[in-house]
Parts: sequence; C-alpha cells; structure tokens
Amino acid sequence: MKKLIQFKNIVKNFDGKLVLKGINLDIYENEFVTLLGPSGCGKTTLLRILGGFLTQNEGQIIFDGEEISNVPSYKREINTVFQKYALFPHMNVYNNIAFGLKIKKEPKDIIEQKVKRMLKLVNLEEYADRNVTEMSGGQQQRVAIARALVNEPNVLLLDEPLGALDLKLRKEMQQELKKIQQEVGITFIYVTHDQEEALTMSDKIVVMKDGEIQQIGSPTDIYNEPVNQYVANFIGESNIMDGMMLEDYLVMFEDKKFKCVDFGFAPNEKVDVVIRPEDLDIVPRAEGKLKGIIKSVLFKGVHYETIVETKVGTSITVKMMVSDDHPVYNEGANEKISANDFYLDMEDVEELDEATIVARADAQAWDPETDEFISIKEISYTIQKENGSYPVTFSTAAGTSVTVNMIVKDENRVINKEYQEQIFAVNFFKKADEIHESIALETDLKTWANASAWSLEDDTAVEITNVKYDFDSETITPGVYEVTFATEGYEYKVDTTDCYEIGDEVGLIFQPEDIHIMSKDS
Amino acid sequence: MKQYRTMALPYIVWMAGMIVAPMLLIVLYAFTDKGNDVATIRFSLENFARFFSDQVFMSVLKRSLFIAVITTAICILCGYPIAYVIANRSEKSKLFWILLITLPTWINMLVRTYAWMGILQDEGIINHLLSLVGLGPITMIHTSFAVVLGMVYNFIPFMILQIYTSLTKMDKSYLEAASDLGANRIQSFLRVTLPLSIPGVISGITLVFLPAVSSFFIPKLLGGGQYVLIGNVIETEFLTSGDWNFGSAISLVMAIIILFSMYLTKKADTDPAANGKENA
Repeated sequence: MKKLIQFKNIVKNFDGKLVLKGINLDIYENEFVTLLGPSGCGKTTLLRILGGFLTQNEGQIIFDGEEISNVPSYKREINTVFQKYALFPHMNVYNNIAFGLKIKKEPKDIIEQKVKRMLKLVNLEEYADRNVTEMSGGQQQRVAIARALVNEPNVLLLDEPLGALDLKLRKEMQQELKKIQQEVGITFIYVTHDQEEALTMSDKIVVMKDGEIQQIGSPTDIYNEPVNQYVANFIGESNIMDGMMLEDYLVMFEDKKFKCVDFGFAPNEKVDVVIRPEDLDIVPRAEGKLKGIIKSVLFKGVHYETIVETKVGTSITVKMMVSDDHPVYNEGANEKISANDFYLDMEDVEELDEATIVARADAQAWDPETDEFISIKEISYTIQKENGSYPVTFSTAAGTSVTVNMIVKDENRVINKEYQEQIFAVNFFKKADEIHESIALETDLKTWANASAWSLEDDTAVEITNVKYDFDSETITPGVYEVTFATEGYEYKVDTTDCYEIGDEVGLIFQPEDIHIMSKDS
Repeated sequence: MKQYRTMALPYIVWMAGMIVAPMLLIVLYAFTDKGNDVATIRFSLENFARFFSDQVFMSVLKRSLFIAVITTAICILCGYPIAYVIANRSEKSKLFWILLITLPTWINMLVRTYAWMGILQDEGIINHLLSLVGLGPITMIHTSFAVVLGMVYNFIPFMILQIYTSLTKMDKSYLEAASDLGANRIQSFLRVTLPLSIPGVISGITLVFLPAVSSFFIPKLLGGGQYVLIGNVIETEFLTSGDWNFGSAISLVMAIIILFSMYLTKKADTDPAANGKENA
C-alpha cells in the first residue's frame, strides 16, 4: 500500500494553548483510519488542519507526495462530512449533492448521472427533490456523505458524523459507512470519541490524548495490547491492577505469581496488569487462581457484568453524634455564638493550633439580626497528650462565650496487615442542621471525620471510595449514628452468561495469554 | 391560559382605539362625499374616480413609485457591500461599525434633512468647494437627485442592519462546506452567502420602500415646491385643501399598493424549495 498522507510534527496552538504537540502520522491508501480520543484531545483540530480550515503553527502535511500546507481547502482533493452536516438549507437534496460538480462546471447530464448514482449509494433515490431542512438526522447524514463522495475525493474526512443520531440508527450507519468505504475504495479518516464505533469500523485506530498520539494500531492490537493504562481504559472496559514483572513471562500481582506471555521488562519492574472482563471465568472457589466473593451482578442484555471482589478494602467505623444544640445568646451585646465538642487523635495534639480548633469545633459568632459574622477574639484551652476531655472556650470581644470539650483519644485507626494499608477516622459531633444543609454528604462526612487512608509500604495516599451510613440526611434527628469509611478492594469485572448470587464465594481463572502487561511510564 | 388572555386586554383596547378605529375612519372617509355629518352619510366612489382619471395625480403616483424603487435599489447596492464588510470583521470592530451606522438615526430626521438642504444649496458647501477649483455652480437642490439622495441617506441604515443581521446569523460551517466542495471565495459568496442572506435583503426592502414611497417632508424640503410626490399630495389634501375624503382615498390606494408589494416580496422569500429547483 502507498502512503497517501503524512503528518510531520504537526504543532497547533490556540491563544498559547497547545492542542497538538507534534503529531507524526502516516495514512495509507484505502484505509479506514479512526482518530479516537475524548473531547479536547485535538482529533478534530488535526482533521480540520488536513481539510484546510485551520493552519498548523509548525510541521508539514504531505499529500500524495506534495506539501499541501499552503493549498487552500477548495483546491484540496479532500472532502469532509461535517459534524452537523452543514447542508445548504436553501437547496434541495439534488442541488446539495450536485454543488461540487456544478462548481467544477461538469456537463449537466454527467452531473445528473453522478448524483443519481450517489443517491442510490446512500439509499435516498426517492428524495432528490426533498428540501434538506425537512429530513431526519439520519437522512441528512446520508445527504452529507453523498455530497462529499460525489466529488470522487481521494480522502473523505468525517468529523463525528454519527454523534447526533440515536443508538439504533448509529449502529446501522456504522455498518453502512463501512460498506460504502469498501465499495468506493478510498481513504476514510474518521473522528470519534466512541471507542465501540472505532473498533467496529476501522482498519487502523489512532488513540489520542491531550494533543499527543498514544497508540496507533489495528483494533485488535489496540484492544489486546494497549500500550498504557489510558488506552486500556479508553478502549473497552478493563481490569487494571498494579503488578510487578518478576522476570520474562512471570508477573506478580495480588501477591501471587502468574505465567504470562510478555517479556522484555526490567526485573522487578512495576507494571500495570490488564485482564479483559471477557477473558475471566468464574469457577468453584477451589479451582480458582484468585478467590473472591460476588459483589454485584448487572444484566447487560447478552451477558451479566459480574463484579468479583478478591480483596476487601480496609474499613473503619466511627460514631457521629448528632445534636440540635442552640447557640448561646448574649442579649446585652446582641450576639450569638455556637461551637461543638470534637474528637482529636493523640498525634494531632502536638500540632494543634487555634485555627484548627475553630475549624474542628465549627465555632462561629454572629449578629442574629443582620446575620453578619463576628470574629472570635479569644480561644482559651489547655491540653495534654493523654486520653481525656479538655474544655476550650471561645469568646468575642463583647464577652459572648461558649465552652465545649476536646476529647483526645487514640485507637482511631485500622491497619490491614495483609495488604499493608491503614485507614484513619475520628468520631465527631455535628448539628442536625449542618447535615440537612450538606450538598455533598460523603465528602463532608470524610472531612468531618478527618478520614484518610494510606499505604504502609510507601506512605502514599489510598482513596477512600466507600462511605456507608444508615440515615437520611434530610430527616436526621439528634442521636448517635455509625459511619463506615473503606478503601477500594481488588475487584474484577467478569462477563458471564450465568447469573451468580451476590455473596457467593467463587474462584477466577484466566490463561497466561489473557494477561496483558503495560509499562507504568509510557 | 385564561389569565394570560386578560393580560392582553389593554393591548387589544389600545390597538382597537389607535390602529383599527383610525383605519376604519380612513376607509369611511374614502368612500363618502365631502360635507358629511353623522346624520347623513352618502357613499360614493367619486374620490377614486377623480384620482384615477386625473393625469396629474397618476404621474405623481408613478413618480413616487419610481423614486421609491430607485431609492430601494441604491440602498441594496450600497448597503449590501457595507453590511458584508462589517459582518466579516472581528466582534469588537463589528459593534463599532454598527454604532457608526446607527448613530445618525439618533438625530431627528427633519434636522438631518435640513442639513442636506444647506449642503446642496446653490451657495452651499459643495458648490463653494467647486467654485474654488473653478467649476460649477451645479444646481442640486430641488432636483430628483436631491430627493433620492435624501431618501437613501435617511433609510439606508435600515437596509444595512437587516442584511448585516442575516449575514451574522448565518452558520459559518456553510462556507467551510462550500470551500470543501471546491468553491473559491467568489463562488461561495454567489452560491451560498448571497442566497442565504436574501431574507435580510427582503426585510430591508420592506423597511426602505415603505417610508420612501410615502415620505412627504423629504421631497418637500429637498425637492422644493416643484417636486411633488404622493405623500405631498396627501399632506396637501388634509392640511391645505381640507378635503379629507379625497386624501383618505389616496391613502387607501397607497395602502393597497404597499400591501400588494409586501405580498410579492414575502412570496419571493418563503419559497426556498422553488428557489432550489430553479437551479437544477
């Protein structure tokens, strides 16, 4: 096959923001190439540069052996199907399609012949006289394709052409586009953020992120051998675990060693391990390479998406004391002040300062008439590094004051020896009103309980992904409630045809060739 | 729904009193004799017969229509390029130019027309400048040139604004599509921009032609006594001759001509499919 288009180090910035950071890409004749990536990754910009609607700041575009950067769009042998079709509203279907041919001043009978053939190709023979504004999205889409193809371009650019269609129509059009591409035998360059669309239609997929190409390859290559975590996540659902490459063909994750087919990594190199959901099988627990319990089952139409948890996250449960304390009212000064008791960890005592105390006690004073805050001038307390309860008094300049207790306690942490993880959280006091007003309750609960988790191996933070509580924040009344914080366990998504019960103890098996290893640094 | 309808009541009363009633009065006057009172109404078509049979009135009518058509045509020919240039400038500069275009309309039309009298007079600034280089004097005031100039000057902002609006509303992707399909800038303009801006041109025509055909003070001031247009005739009938019946009849004829011309322009506008086929 012949190289048709070569992008050489294309750089583009908009107002100083780099959207393309040096793109190098070769596109061959008769290929169906998909530029895939999330919005803002630069894929549309690259397409528009090729179409001639934008000019790159650096780099060259070679088209059929010639540099075309300075060739205006109307002279390029490239046609585009625009995102919102851009059909001319003042023309009917026939005239929209004939537009390019009329510009080229082709004879009338040739134009008619070609337009008729295009209408047939896109299944719109009956619609020649129809006004384009009266057509459905799918029909407009076909007109746009016909209008571009009738000019017999060497390359057709398609900018998210199916984005505006509903799911069913989109699937139909995907097949139809592929069929049309094979029939006319020209290069299609297709821009989309839909990975499934890319996998279905393309000969070659170019995965982009932040103005850079992540990976170029066939759909199977990209799917089975993603070069990094980003690509693996973007292309299809995946299980990605931290692992270590012990030697060629031997990887360790979840503290177990597994044979694999990858090689060429440094000994003990830290890697990401990818196993696709469809490559995992659920077996009786005793036969499994990994053991776990069924955490959730989701019916997906043709299969069940079953989540198997092989490691339970580290969790800690704390008490939330809900009160409906009324603020202290100083009638003479016309001031109100409020604060609540709070728990402190032994280790926090040394670093304790006034700002922290105010924040933790949620101390505030205000004028009840204007609702304006009044600053707290004085904080008096004594504290020792011992379990116990220590009073703290907050007062304003006018002498309005409130006293609450700081309760120092250790044993605010849970250590998970097996997975070298530690989680920390403290009991806390809250007013019912504050809970009612919370708009992001889980985040607030984490803040109030000072909850955090980290790895004991390297002290890095571990995300707390589960916050469990058993109350309704809208209707909560004073009392004591339990809140549980937990880190994420190891979970595997498995595609199964059988439906398992949640809580079933099962095993997981997979083949060495199903393990895909990705280097951490790429 | 109910309460919304009651909210419209003041407007209905206003429209009935200020628009419908005077219109009906004009119709009534047009179809009756002079010297009616409430008790005795005598219907007659004599006013219309007089208007259509009198050669003088007919030539005034023709002249008025002719002047209005010329004015509208000049407004399109000058206004379109101006609107096009402004519409293709940067956002900031667009605002500035549109401000410049609308600025004169902040000043009373009469005052501006008086200013033109001063400029065009035999001893006005133009003839003065011409005499410095040994030319002129050229008689400009009280000619059809002066009348058309005054009308174009007064009404062209409406044309520019209408075309400008339709050009800026146009989706730029149509131009990209045209360029993509091989059209250079001139072809893109002729085949895409121009046809898509026709609605703007048509509402511009309505806004220029209507005041131009019925204007009376511009021909009075710039055309002098010699240059009579239909607006002046109506004015004279009402204010000088006191023949309200005849004046109403002429007004009615004008209203019908205007309605008919609006109908024609509307028809040309709202038939995009026909427009498309014609190119096939």
